[in-house]
Amino acid sequence: MSAIPQEPQAIVDQFFRHQWGRVVSHLTGKFGVPNLTLVEDAVQEALTKAMQSWAFKGIPDNPAGWITRVAHNHVIDALRRKKNFEKKSAELEQGESSYAMDWDMDEEIKDDELKMMFACCHPAINAELQIILTLKILGGFSNAEVARQLLKKEDTIAKAYTRGKKKLIDEGITLEVPFGKYLSQRLSRVLRILYLLFNEGYSVTAGDQLIKVSLCEEAIRLGSLILECKRLVKPDVHALLALMYFQSSRFGARLDRNGRMVSLEHQDRMLWDHSLIELGKEHLELAAAFGHINDYFIQASIARVHCDASTYEGTNWRQILMMYDIQLQLNSNPVIFLNRVIAYGKVHGAEAALRELRLNGSNKTLEKYPLRYAVEAELLAEKEDYATAIEKIEQAISLNANELEVAFMKFKKSGWIELIS
Amino acid sequence: MKEYMYLFRGGDGRELNQSPEQMQAHMQAWGVWMQALGKSGNFVTGLPLQSGGKVVENHGEVITDGPFAEGKELVGGYLIVKANDLDHAADLSKQCPIFERGGTVEVREIMPMDI
Repeated sequence: MSAIPQEPQAIVDQFFRHQWGRVVSHLTGKFGVPNLTLVEDAVQEALTKAMQSWAFKGIPDNPAGWITRVAHNHVIDALRRKKNFEKKSAELEQGESSYAMDWDMDEEIKDDELKMMFACCHPAINAELQIILTLKILGGFSNAEVARQLLKKEDTIAKAYTRGKKKLIDEGITLEVPFGKYLSQRLSRVLRILYLLFNEGYSVTAGDQLIKVSLCEEAIRLGSLILECKRLVKPDVHALLALMYFQSSRFGARLDRNGRMVSLEHQDRMLWDHSLIELGKEHLELAAAFGHINDYFIQASIARVHCDASTYEGTNWRQILMMYDIQLQLNSNPVIFLNRVIAYGKVHGAEAALRELRLNGSNKTLEKYPLRYAVEAELLAEKEDYATAIEKIEQAISLNANELEVAFMKFKKSGWIELIS
Repeated sequence: MKEYMYLFRGGDGRELNQSPEQMQAHMQAWGVWMQALGKSGNFVTGLPLQSGGKVVENHGEVITDGPFAEGKELVGGYLIVKANDLDHAADLSKQCPIFERGGTVEVREIMPMDI
């Protein structure tokens, strides 16, 4: 008679999902990038077996080792079936038994994941495919999940993923963390992808909020993984993590109960996650210790000023304006410009900010940008010129495709209409 | 109380392209269900079965890989439970997570020795 079934919660949340990225990375490192799809099938099979048997027999002592071993054996079987494998099989069988006995390869596995991260973000692959490869291979998300995260069709993701994998193979990309002069260039590419991934999750769009949070969590998890490799501990990594922690802290306050967007001004600051803010501060200080100012560092510093303010009115806008001034010098783009105009208005008043906007804000990119008109409308409303404010917000609405943002702007507009009548 | 066997067929979700997250959730649902059977004193024993196998006929004159082609018909595992009667046993199976994946449970009474 067998034992009474065990507690089913004996493994941590998302264990399967994280295991996916680890084992796929590890076995792809071992059997080569051309066997990536075969490895994925094997890991899928191993997880299916775990799903079927663990509920009956309980969680094994070393669940990670169990899955790796089973997946490894499936790869060997599949390769044997491919016949052309006979020569190598003897040596690989040795590898098989070596970690069947004891599995303490945590360090090696982390290293494998890092190498996979660099492969997925290889410069030969375009940014969109890099994001999809990262989410699928390292994140362990299904096509359907990635489709929901990126607001695309499942079929589109499936095709893009196939293209991405083909690219990995065709370009002869191997799994390694680059050395020397290529390292900083390649690392900044990886960080860029994590930043984009985080922003995809963080952008306010209708749809499943939970799945979007998981995207941000994944970006943070992968960012933290980078720091586990000593030679990758760079200020940019800390700064990006700080930024992601600060932004994540507001997740619970950004939407109200009816799923409507709540602006920073009206968020309930008690709902901010202070443990995440603390983590953000730790990383920001570590980044600052390098004495190197970059884009992530400034963004994180601005986010920190917001996190430090106990009320919207009490925000240190002068400090924020100063940060935007520096940022604009490093990297001039319309979003930074508009955010600077908002800060400028808080420090110097709406009138001055409007002048600033009209003086420097009339280029082609900005003219098609809905936020430009929304900012102008806000400043006009502050001056109590509601009629013009309504005109401008209508312009912003007509240019915007984001449902939640449109709803938010319409809400503003209706408030101003009431003030006129 | 008599003993009954549940034969689980299909429902492994292979055709569903499940994500690792979904598989973990499914496994945990099974664990919760079986634990509940354990706590109520109905659980006796059970094991999952590997897919594939051999069918031996005529003292081994004919050995085939078996009629296992259809995933839906494949027995994926069994469970033995204690229940008052067949209806009760069938009733206990209703919460089984296999139904979420289109599988079935065949409920059979185990023939008692002391008839």
